[in-house]
Amino acid sequence: MGNQYVDMGLSAPVNVTWEVTYACNLSCIHCLSDGGKKRRGELTTEECMQVIDTLSEMKVFQFNIGGGEPFMRSDFLDLIDYAHAREMVTCISTNGTLIDDDIARRLDSPLVYIQVSLDGASPDSNDAIRGKGSFRNVIKALACLRKRDIEVSINTVLTHRSFPELDRMVALAAEYGAKLRVSRFRPSGRGKASWSQLNIGKTQMIAFSDWLSRHLRVSTGDSFFSISTEDRRSLGLNMCGACKLTCCISPEGNVYPCAFLQDQEFLAGRLPADDFADIWENSPVFHSFRALEIKSCESCHRFDLCHGGCPAIAYHTQRKLGIPDPGCLANCVSIKPMAAEVYQ
Amino acid sequence: MLSETIYHLRDGVQVRKEKFGLLFYNYRGPRLYFVPTEDLLDPDFFTSCRKAGELVDSIEAANAWPRSWIENWVDRIMITLEQKGLIYGQSIC
Repeated sequence: MGNQYVDMGLSAPVNVTWEVTYACNLSCIHCLSDGGKKRRGELTTEECMQVIDTLSEMKVFQFNIGGGEPFMRSDFLDLIDYAHAREMVTCISTNGTLIDDDIARRLDSPLVYIQVSLDGASPDSNDAIRGKGSFRNVIKALACLRKRDIEVSINTVLTHRSFPELDRMVALAAEYGAKLRVSRFRPSGRGKASWSQLNIGKTQMIAFSDWLSRHLRVSTGDSFFSISTEDRRSLGLNMCGACKLTCCISPEGNVYPCAFLQDQEFLAGRLPADDFADIWENSPVFHSFRALEIKSCESCHRFDLCHGGCPAIAYHTQRKLGIPDPGCLANCVSIKPMAAEVYQ
Repeated sequence: MLSETIYHLRDGVQVRKEKFGLLFYNYRGPRLYFVPTEDLLDPDFFTSCRKAGELVDSIEAANAWPRSWIENWVDRIMITLEQKGLIYGQSIC
């Protein structure tokens, strides 16, 4: 990642995380957005289209769409079509349970990526987190998507329950022609209540770091730069992209630095009423986030690999920004320093 | 010097202007490519059907630089972008 260019300030996000609804037909115990029922104030179809128009005009390349469960919106496929007509790529995070052959047919576009959540390699392990019957329904969805050859990732949140099943998850993903993505458990939404129950400890984090080095085809998105190793440095970000490369829009149109920082103090504006370009350029919240320095990390040999890690985890666990990611391994494992910066 | 070549974005590639130059996005991945062209190269070049030689002409007109230096710079940029799978050249000779 060309950090020096990102630090110069981009004219717009590269991608925007958009939680299009709080409505969800599942009730996962670690849900980052505390999804469940549709809430008052969620953007209408017309307002959503205004948001898409605005971001398209700014040349935002990609939406990462989540919820809630996006397919709970009756207009969701129309919104996807609307974004595609503007050449915007849509990466849809879904629980998969509503995807059937008809929906898979509608999703059959080169501009679509699907990320289906699965938190275990068996009904027992997955359904304990995501709800009874969800494993079976996700497997059906994967089969529908595979028939259409739609690019799919299975997303697994790393918890102490899912960690022992990762090898089986790799095999399961391969069986359905999918990639495996492991994302980091963060204590937001219902994750706050289940944090102590599900979060992995440092010993498991070290083991997971080793596991990632042995599975270079497993992606992690922007989740695990706190444990990035030299052999994975070209596979993703080495810093938090909030307010630099990305930001988040809530179902009500509220704009935040990232999906995991949707507290009132991080509210930067509201769409479609406010001007998104002005929010991106001038919001004091975004300015302060871009200026965030984790001074105590700067002398660490791993600083160029992680830049202090995930501020959201630091915030939710210690109510502070600008402090090291609590999941940092620098003090308990020796990881080779980065040789030189590259970009792509 | 590929002066008679027109360059187009490959399918799935988008580009926008940034302070440092051009930011390419390729949905087939790897996703992002940062190209420090400053103000010398505009994203519209890749959709305008202008020849590389015309780009050299416009840079030369705006800057007092040796033409050979500009030609080498343009060649290097285009070759790199082609190798990255972001653009393709179409010779009109």
